[in-house]
Amino acid sequence: MTNLNEIEREEVKKLLVLATLAGRLMLKAGAETYRVEDTVMRICQSRKDIQYVDAFVIPTGIFISLEYKGELISYIKRVKNISIDLNKIALVNEFSRTFVSSHMSIEDGIREIKRINKIHIYSNFTQAFFGAIASSFFCLLFQGTSMDFIAAFVVSFIVSFLLSFVSSLKLSFFIDKFIASVFISILSYLFIKLGIGNSLDKVIIGAIMPLVPGVAITNAIRDTMSGDFMSGLSRGMEAVFSALAIAFGVGIVLIFFIGGY
Amino acid sequence: MELIKQFVFSFMSTIGFAVLFSSPKKSVVYAGLVGAIGWMFYYITFAMMNSYVASTFFGALTVGLLGELFARKYKKPATLYITAGIIPLVPGAGAYYTMLYLIENEFSLAATKGVETFFIAAAISMGIIISSIFSKSIKRVRQKD
Repeated sequence: MTNLNEIEREEVKKLLVLATLAGRLMLKAGAETYRVEDTVMRICQSRKDIQYVDAFVIPTGIFISLEYKGELISYIKRVKNISIDLNKIALVNEFSRTFVSSHMSIEDGIREIKRINKIHIYSNFTQAFFGAIASSFFCLLFQGTSMDFIAAFVVSFIVSFLLSFVSSLKLSFFIDKFIASVFISILSYLFIKLGIGNSLDKVIIGAIMPLVPGVAITNAIRDTMSGDFMSGLSRGMEAVFSALAIAFGVGIVLIFFIGGY
Repeated sequence: MELIKQFVFSFMSTIGFAVLFSSPKKSVVYAGLVGAIGWMFYYITFAMMNSYVASTFFGALTVGLLGELFARKYKKPATLYITAGIIPLVPGAGAYYTMLYLIENEFSLAATKGVETFFIAAAISMGIIISSIFSKSIKRVRQKD
């Protein structure tokens, strides 16, 4: 702790691993590219004797290299399965601040990151319930009736359990969203036929809202506008294909039930 | 009356999304407020100007500024409030109708709706970026003191 100047090569390597783990955790939780780059670089620069650090982050991977006593060390980490978890972003952000400003040991840091990785503040049930609330109020926001409200709530609640089951099979985001939106449209159609809900459009619009890649679209455009073209493209592709999956899913069912026009 | 209704609906739906995005328990209500106030700005400016893109821009700008404000106050990253707060503005309905027109072989209507949807998404990003520039310049001025 006192001899920060004498941290050895092993320590530097561990520091690099810590920075990458922290960065990956943030990226997986859906943080913006610049925030991840910033955090990674700040963690690396916080210890002395490191002359040069640079980080290149895109939504599918992290690349860091740093120079320590004339030697270049680099680390690459592939990132898959981004799912938004704002709590983790906040925790890692706080962690990086305390790590930089205090003399926390690197082992402690790695342990802390692993602890943060395991935190899930809401259970599946709570998230499904609130997802259903989000969908049903969204339906009201677009002038849905109280019957539409009930239909959107139930459909969204059922489908969010289905979605968490499908995504546990680890197929691909495209298939997940496709299956979920097929079920959303079938269920919505059934509800309308049963007399619960007046407008099929509004029920479906409400229920697909948790699937719509709104965050991905805005982040993609934001990244591009601020000069991170690679991340912008990558997130943009994700957004476009998520939207396509939903459109295919809903479209196929609508053609099937209503009959092609 | 309509305004109160809109406020409550957007507040609840933003809260739902905040939980869906696992935002920390303390910031859920603030995220809801950010989303609801942003939506109110959208709703009022839409009644005044009758343009989806412009009013979405103002809504997103409000969301961004409020998010930065809460971020400063509670020392949390602004994303916590902004990510859920922009959701009511996201053109989910626009995307849906684009798809519906494509199914109905109404290609010109689909193109109109699709372009509008894209520009609404761009307007959201513009609003957020401009608000973050504001907050950065405030920070710089404060650091100089």
